[in-house]
Amino acid sequence: MSFRMSNASSGMGVADHSKSTFLELKRKKVHRYVIFKIDEKKKEVTVEKTGAPGESYDDFTASLPENDCRYAVYDFDFVTEENCQKSKIFFIAWSPSTSRIRAKMLYATSKDRLKRELDGIHYEIQATDPTEMDLEVLRDRAN
Amino acid sequence: MAELSETYACVPSTERGRGILISGDPKSDSIVYCNGRSVIIRSLGRPLEASIYGEHAYQATVARFSPNGEWVASADVSGTVRIWGRHGDRVLKNEFRVLSGRIDDLQWSPDGQRIVASGDGKGKSFVRAFMWDSGTNVGEFDGHSRRVLSCAFKPTRPFRIVTCGEDFLVNFYEGPPFKFKLSQREHSNFVNCVRFSPDGNKFITVSSDKKGIIYDAKTGEKMGELPAADGHKGSIYAVSWSPDSKQVLTVSADKTAKVWEIMDDGNGKLNRTLECLGSGGLDDMLVGCLWQNDHLVTVSLGGAINIFSASDPEKTAIKFSGHMKSITSLSCLHQSGQKIILSSSYDGVIVRWLQGVGYVGKLQRKDSPQIKCFAAVEEELLTSGFDNKVWRIPLNEDQCGEAVHVDVGSQPKDLSFAVKFPEVALVSTDSGLAILRGSKLASSIKVGYTVTASAISPDGTEAIVGGQDGKLHIYSIAGDVLTEESVLEKHRGAITVIRYSPDTSMFASADANREAVVWDHITCEVKLKNMLYHTARINCLAWSPDSRMVATGSLDTCVIVYEVDKPASNRVTIKGAHLGGVYGLAFCDENSVISSGEDACVRLWRLIQQ
Repeated sequence: MSFRMSNASSGMGVADHSKSTFLELKRKKVHRYVIFKIDEKKKEVTVEKTGAPGESYDDFTASLPENDCRYAVYDFDFVTEENCQKSKIFFIAWSPSTSRIRAKMLYATSKDRLKRELDGIHYEIQATDPTEMDLEVLRDRAN
Repeated sequence: MAELSETYACVPSTERGRGILISGDPKSDSIVYCNGRSVIIRSLGRPLEASIYGEHAYQATVARFSPNGEWVASADVSGTVRIWGRHGDRVLKNEFRVLSGRIDDLQWSPDGQRIVASGDGKGKSFVRAFMWDSGTNVGEFDGHSRRVLSCAFKPTRPFRIVTCGEDFLVNFYEGPPFKFKLSQREHSNFVNCVRFSPDGNKFITVSSDKKGIIYDAKTGEKMGELPAADGHKGSIYAVSWSPDSKQVLTVSADKTAKVWEIMDDGNGKLNRTLECLGSGGLDDMLVGCLWQNDHLVTVSLGGAINIFSASDPEKTAIKFSGHMKSITSLSCLHQSGQKIILSSSYDGVIVRWLQGVGYVGKLQRKDSPQIKCFAAVEEELLTSGFDNKVWRIPLNEDQCGEAVHVDVGSQPKDLSFAVKFPEVALVSTDSGLAILRGSKLASSIKVGYTVTASAISPDGTEAIVGGQDGKLHIYSIAGDVLTEESVLEKHRGAITVIRYSPDTSMFASADANREAVVWDHITCEVKLKNMLYHTARINCLAWSPDSRMVATGSLDTCVIVYEVDKPASNRVTIKGAHLGGVYGLAFCDENSVISSGEDACVRLWRLIQQ
């Protein structure tokens, strides 16, 4: 029997579909990125968009809205100094300063619940404007 | 990618009534001096290369190379001495808190093991000598009751230290470990500088009582003095020996430098007098000197550095100068086929620089009021200071013509020329805008918001005004009447600078919240956004002549160059361009950016396309 762990602050649940999409990204590598949105009516975190493995980082940044918050998971491939191909999963909390305060509050309080469900994230980035989730930032963190 | 191509360095900071101490390294022919918090090392043979060390937390006062030329010891007003490597990464070897007040002079012992520092000890010790690597004291230095202005280490064994100061005394210490031996009270005013001859036989002290006295180096007894007959007519601020120990160079507040021959019996004879003529007035008082190899270097109160030849008295001196204070604005002009760079600082100094050559001259104006805003086109300059006047100065190559001024009612905050019709200029004050036609105030309006930046289009038909709230107001100008057309909202902080592109198809604006935006002129749509890569307020902005690139300079000391056609993330960042913040930017040609900042230097960067 599984019981719902209540989130003390906002009570948003995590949809099963979100968790399974994340596991697909992690294990089968069928997605480059997944973008999550909070559906206030159903009170849960759902999948808004997924990206094909061939898509680039710029496609990913273009899919994030300018004035609203989202959660995203991005599978970052890179080559280390010792010349090995590695891949790390980044969790990005996208909260632009131009978005509404209510949205920022909602996404901030539900973040922990989501992260606990998405087991296997390597790094987390909080971005309040596009410069904070620049590809350079990911490259620096991944080493 | 951007690389530093040329540096037009600042000059030593000077103070009226005191001398400054500059020193050098004869092996590499470089001189070292301090300005603000930076220590500047310049090579006399290559004046466009200057390296700057900016690690002091307080104003730096004096710096010296070690005898082997590998290390530099520099001191600041908090009494801290930093010893760092001269080459490469400037790795810090040691840092010691030597005195409790400012340090005025610093000397290495000839073996490079000990350092003596003197200054203002605030009642406690005024002089300390210590080992360079451990900081342990090597002597007790009592005998002074006021600020010790200079100290010197005898260059040959047996080691002696001499100190002199504001209490008119010259104290002689024997050691190591150094102990007080005797005191000389020959001077009747502040003793400004004491130096040992390189062969270690004599030392000379110079003072504000216009005398120079020579002593025996081993015993400290007076030997002779510089004759008063041809002597200086003002306080002597600094002295320097020639490498062969036979001559000394002295500089004084009477605006001359004199070369004396020192005989074996300790008496001096005047050899020649060097006049350093400049604009006349206070700024020509000489406050620092150095005799290095064949060069006689003198520094004046206004910051002008003159280099005479020691062996060839007929050769004219090489003069160069620069800024002493933070440079507030910069512009690049074409004059008679050459690209001249003009930089101005708030104390009213305008300097002309030529790419590839360096300092060309200073623009002298009849009255030199302080400058807050500055704009330049080929024939004219527009400046405003801290009062209500805007000055229009006609420019004739390197001379300034008669300046005319206009009163605009309150302190101008920003001004710009309509580049194609330079007689039209827009001036914005805290609460209004004014249009100047020639030297007359053509019209002025009051606006309901606080104005922080403004720009007039090159053809004079449109003006954009930025406010404290981040809104951009667009005005059309018809017959000197300003009418508000529309308001653009995007910025989230007070607008700091607005600039039209040279081909007038776009304009760019930047705010205090680190963001810059490029707009299309006709449609007022955003062309390039997300230019948010600075970490502090953006101070200045410049367009490249082909309107393809925009550069922004900020308080965070970085300059970022964006290409209008590419996304903002493809940017070129120049980190640490100017210690303290970048305040002026201009494009010299398609691939070179010039920047100026708080550290009083102007730098030229070359952009390398990849």
